[in-house]
Amino acid sequence: MIRINCPYCGEREHSEFTYGEDATRTTPDNDAPMEEWNKFVYERDNPAGEHIEYWHHAFGCRAWLKVQRNTITHDISWVGLPHENPEATS
Amino acid sequence: MSGFRHGAGRLGDAQLNFTFDGKPMLARTGDTVASALLANGVEVVGRSFKYHRPRGVTSSGPEEAGALVTIGAGGKADPNARATMEPVTQGLEVFSQNCFPSPKFDLMSVNGLAGAILPGSLFSAGFYYKTFMWPAALWYKFYEPSIRAAAGMGVPPKVADPDIYDRIQMFCDVAVVGGGSAGLSAALSASQSGLRVVIFDEHNDLGGQLLNEANSDANADLEQWRKDTIAALESAENVTVLARAVCWGRFDGNMLAAHQSVDGKVRQNYIKVQAKKIIIAAGAIERPLVFGNNDKPNVMLASAARRMLNHYGTATGKMLAVFTNNDSAYQTAFDYSDAGIQVSAVVDSRQYPGQALVDGCKSRGITLHTQAVVTEAKGWQAVRSIEIADLAANGQSVRNRRRVACDVLAHSGGWTPQVQMAAHGGKPPVYDKNIAAFVVGDQAPDTYSVGAAEGENGLLAGVSQAIDAAKAACEELGATAGSVTAPPQDRDGATNIVPLWCVPAKGKQLVDIQHDVTAADVVQSHSEGFVSVEHLKRYTTLGMANDQGRTSNVNALAIMAQCRGVSIAEAGTTRFRAPIAPVSMGGFAGREIGKHFKPVRRTPMQEWHEKAGAVFVQAGMYMRPQYYPQASETIDDAYERETAHVRQKVGICDVTSLGKIEIVGPDAAEFLDRVYINMFSTLKIGKARYGVMLREDGIVYDDGTTSRFAEDRFFMTTTTAKAGPVMAYLERCLEIDWPELKVRVSSVSERWGAMAVAGPDSRATLSAAFPSVDFSNEAFPFMGVVHAEHNGAKLVILRISFSGEMAYEVYATSEHATDIWQTVVDAGQAYDIVPYGLETLGALRIEKGHVTGAELDGRVTLGDVHMDGMASKKKWFVGKNLKEREGMVHPNRPQLVGLKSVDPRTPISTGSILVTEANATAGADKQGWVSSMTYSPELGNFIALGFLRGGKDRIGERIYAAYPVKGKNVEVEVVSNHFVDPTNDRVKG
Repeated sequence: MIRINCPYCGEREHSEFTYGEDATRTTPDNDAPMEEWNKFVYERDNPAGEHIEYWHHAFGCRAWLKVQRNTITHDISWVGLPHENPEATS
Repeated sequence: MSGFRHGAGRLGDAQLNFTFDGKPMLARTGDTVASALLANGVEVVGRSFKYHRPRGVTSSGPEEAGALVTIGAGGKADPNARATMEPVTQGLEVFSQNCFPSPKFDLMSVNGLAGAILPGSLFSAGFYYKTFMWPAALWYKFYEPSIRAAAGMGVPPKVADPDIYDRIQMFCDVAVVGGGSAGLSAALSASQSGLRVVIFDEHNDLGGQLLNEANSDANADLEQWRKDTIAALESAENVTVLARAVCWGRFDGNMLAAHQSVDGKVRQNYIKVQAKKIIIAAGAIERPLVFGNNDKPNVMLASAARRMLNHYGTATGKMLAVFTNNDSAYQTAFDYSDAGIQVSAVVDSRQYPGQALVDGCKSRGITLHTQAVVTEAKGWQAVRSIEIADLAANGQSVRNRRRVACDVLAHSGGWTPQVQMAAHGGKPPVYDKNIAAFVVGDQAPDTYSVGAAEGENGLLAGVSQAIDAAKAACEELGATAGSVTAPPQDRDGATNIVPLWCVPAKGKQLVDIQHDVTAADVVQSHSEGFVSVEHLKRYTTLGMANDQGRTSNVNALAIMAQCRGVSIAEAGTTRFRAPIAPVSMGGFAGREIGKHFKPVRRTPMQEWHEKAGAVFVQAGMYMRPQYYPQASETIDDAYERETAHVRQKVGICDVTSLGKIEIVGPDAAEFLDRVYINMFSTLKIGKARYGVMLREDGIVYDDGTTSRFAEDRFFMTTTTAKAGPVMAYLERCLEIDWPELKVRVSSVSERWGAMAVAGPDSRATLSAAFPSVDFSNEAFPFMGVVHAEHNGAKLVILRISFSGEMAYEVYATSEHATDIWQTVVDAGQAYDIVPYGLETLGALRIEKGHVTGAELDGRVTLGDVHMDGMASKKKWFVGKNLKEREGMVHPNRPQLVGLKSVDPRTPISTGSILVTEANATAGADKQGWVSSMTYSPELGNFIALGFLRGGKDRIGERIYAAYPVKGKNVEVEVVSNHFVDPTNDRVKG
């Protein structure tokens, strides 16, 4: 099982969490053109490798977390709060 | 009859009684079903899957492919159990499988004869895909039942399993998979670091291959080492020894999954172990050789024949022959000979096995045939002799066939390291020519494969690897593993194997014994184009039986590699997947069965409903009253009565299941303006407003009523179904999208019990119930909110209506909710108040044309449900940017309409397709669907809500609601979705 180290609760099994969404996208401005919103909502990347995404600790503290997960190995290399970012790894 | 009790082995003294197909048998403590059956002289244990060939014990471990039996009877029956893995207990009932009337005389064995006569017959490779394709009509009537009757394994019990299964979550620093000499050493070494250690072994007795060794004086020190090591582990507080626990899968994050059989109240534990480091010491499994009739009872793996004798005190026959392509099988011949059992021949396909082995045979008077093979096992049911022949130097042909007498043939085609757990870590195994098998190449992270599992068969060498691994693992965890005593004797690991993948001779040569896949099937698969090992597996079902290819995979892919003219390394292996052993569904389910399958939520008023005779229905996780039947009322009688009563007088309904969220903070109003399409910042304190949320893509997400309690405090209700998701969504918005907003959201669903009081007499009822509250239209108008207290209960009363009648929702603190409910009911007696259930709630809202989850199904836009006018143009809200897309506002989208059956008493089925032709066929133009239906007492007519293409402009049209599955075709009239009180006067009265 994937284990996620929640900054509030500590390491927990992923069944306590629900996957949210891609955390690398930037929400368009409220008055941005429809095309830009369309792209934001529908055009998703499906990267193989490191990926930053939101997870919800739904059966824990209910915090939304930012998680860096390798989509191939499922290794979780970093967990932070939504406004934080992992330091650039070489 | 060939097997018999011979010596004590390592069994206990106590005598056990068990039965096989009802016949009484004797066993001793420590016996497996396999060893006990052999000791009782049973040769034919069952019949094979496809050809109904007689099958006996082929091994002594998890790779058993022949002796599959059903253990126990009735609900406790466990079909397809491997006799080699099942300990005999007093009174155990064992049954043979796939044979009628008995394993020795089986009517279906004609399948095997047909296979012999007709090439490419009934059950040859790919028969699933080729046979009985035509005529299709016969498939269900004839082919499938016949095949199912003919081909099969054990019969699953039809009654519920009465046993209890548990799930256990464990954490450890070092997990050791396998309790042989390497695993025991690794575990003991690691345990001395003080770290937490778990060791698994699927057998009852730990020791692995050490158990094959004779329990003799010469081996006394070795046996003592085994016992001491186990005792040291069992007495260590930081070690958990899990015997009879098959570790069947390794998952992300170093999680190992195991099923452990236990004696006692619980039958099995499903154990998940979270390990920091994993040492795989799973050992190796002996491979069979592929020759004619190699599946015949009493053909068994050499190591198994040896373990039967040395560990289980069971001689597998009175005259043993050995067939091998490597050194390891000689010890079986020697041990049998030393135990006084005649050994008629050792047949070695190699030119020269080395002087020591030649001498070993000579000194015991064993005839050794080198450069020779067994071409066929002979005997009516079990082996009574073998045909052997000399193998040509090029290995392609045989000559000089001759008979050798024997009643058990022990064979060895080499050893296959158990790489599954390592391979689950993501690294494919690689071929090692020296041992003619696949070994672990790159180790997965945090993993160490050691001993025979890594191709090292030497005793001391394997133990040394294991201790090194334990030291390395502990060091990485910042601890120091200890030194452990090495075994006092060594066993050479060199097998000097010269591969012999398939004897060049005729006859049925089984590759996968359990699934009846022959060498010819592999060749046929190749000639038909299924050449990749993954295709071979699926085309022939090879390796898909419960031994999961332990004995068959390497042989099969070697034969395939020969066919393709490529190396074995190039042919590769199939991907290893969990589970590697059969595991019970019961273990996965644990205690979450029946009523405990999922949690049931009950409202505070549950007991009241029960006393009132409510019939309950599960709605989401909640148990909700569906209707309250009186006397002999049917469900239809009851809800029609309740519905009419609410419209004429007053009713009360439990609506506790609605989601309730409190939204607090200086930016609460701004927050609601962003998530709802309509304005909430303009909502006055003490007022409620209906609100609709969209998703980012502009589709309707949820609806509900939100009231303003104070400038900075709102109370939101959501639909029952979306209570959880909306809460998570609001949290996400605040934490991710708009962290600048000073708002907190809390789920208060559990804090409040809720009841709807609806009907023309609702005001009078509540005025009587709560005299301190002024319910007059002036003081408490439609969409008003009042806070009150009553006998210690806090109340929030909203004047809102789902039914279309004058109505209130009363929220009472949960612990007082039943009292408040009773207070309302008592006060309502004067107005004939009735409780109403979910059916009536639905009927009322359909009559009123209100939507619920049946309509808001994740496909509808605001325009589809006629709410586009509600969307504010003065502000931004979620979904605003995409809701106006061309396809979202297309006039021909399916739009919400009301439907009335033309014949008032003909129901309209939910899920019906809306069509314009009277007798629509599959090709008809489907113009919409029916989402909800009810009988409307008010209209005296069956009515429905549905979505109809361009429905807004089609009022008055007559169309059909077709339900082809039930052969229904109901003529309906398209009407407004507001069947009752379209001007909405009643709610304001």
